[in-house]
Amino acid sequence: MVLPLLILVLVACAALAGWALWFVVRDRAVILKQLFGAAVVEALVVVQAVVAGVLMATRDHPVDGPLFWGYVATALIVLPIAAVWAFAERTRWSSVVLAVAALTVGFLDWRLWQIWGVA
Amino acid sequence: MSGSNGVSGSNGTSVPGGGSRPRGEARRTGAGFGRLLVTVYGVLAFAAIGRSTYELATKFSEAPFAYSLSTLSAVVYVLATIALAKGGPRWRTVAWVTVGFEAVGVLAVGAASAASPDVFGETTVWSGFGQGYGYIPLVLPFVGLWWLWRTRPRADDERAAPDPTATDPSATDLTPPEPTPDDPEVR
Repeated sequence: MVLPLLILVLVACAALAGWALWFVVRDRAVILKQLFGAAVVEALVVVQAVVAGVLMATRDHPVDGPLFWGYVATALIVLPIAAVWAFAERTRWSSVVLAVAALTVGFLDWRLWQIWGVA
Repeated sequence: MSGSNGVSGSNGTSVPGGGSRPRGEARRTGAGFGRLLVTVYGVLAFAAIGRSTYELATKFSEAPFAYSLSTLSAVVYVLATIALAKGGPRWRTVAWVTVGFEAVGVLAVGAASAASPDVFGETTVWSGFGQGYGYIPLVLPFVGLWWLWRTRPRADDERAAPDPTATDPSATDLTPPEPTPDDPEVR
């Protein structure tokens, strides 16, 4: 993993969560544009996973592989499911769901960074 | 982020599991606040699945009891998530059982781990009352039980539209139903 990508993912997650929380305050449901935002976050996590895989394959970086990829899999699956689940609700709770999902992905990404470094 | 994103024109402000709900409206466990509840349950389910899969695959023999407990809790979280999301009569029963099991489990395992830290050999999701997961495993089942209670179906909650002539013995109006003179069924 590389630090700039980590920061980028964390900022994207925070932005998405902030956007969703703003909608909670405004008593609005999730809109399609926010799902595109979630897709951007998802794409960044994919890029990050690919970069990590390349680094693992080319350098001798000791990482607990099963643990790391388990976290990657979880981080990748949270947003798509949460997006569908949130979009089906047409109250402000849908925005709460999206915010929770974005914060969860951010947290998982932070854990990924720890696992990458500690191992 | 201006508020001018007018994609969703109609914003339902009513909360489907919320307070002033007309009688006869379905009390869905997965809507309104329940939408958030199911989300948090889902995240915890994924966390528990990931944890138990990792433990079973890499180090099960180190602490078989603790890791079996992790697997059991993962299954229970998955079942509770599905049951709360679906919310039909049978799923509601499944939800009561699984969420209740979690409440008992986190208290029992939390108390056992507090009394004797290495009773399970290794930590579990429920060790220390779920402190490894921000105490969410401790809070969540009780919120879930409260929500199941709040959204419970009542006697006057028939699927069909409420019949204005139907009387409900548990209704709050204390006057007993009296046959009206012009009721055709009264002889």
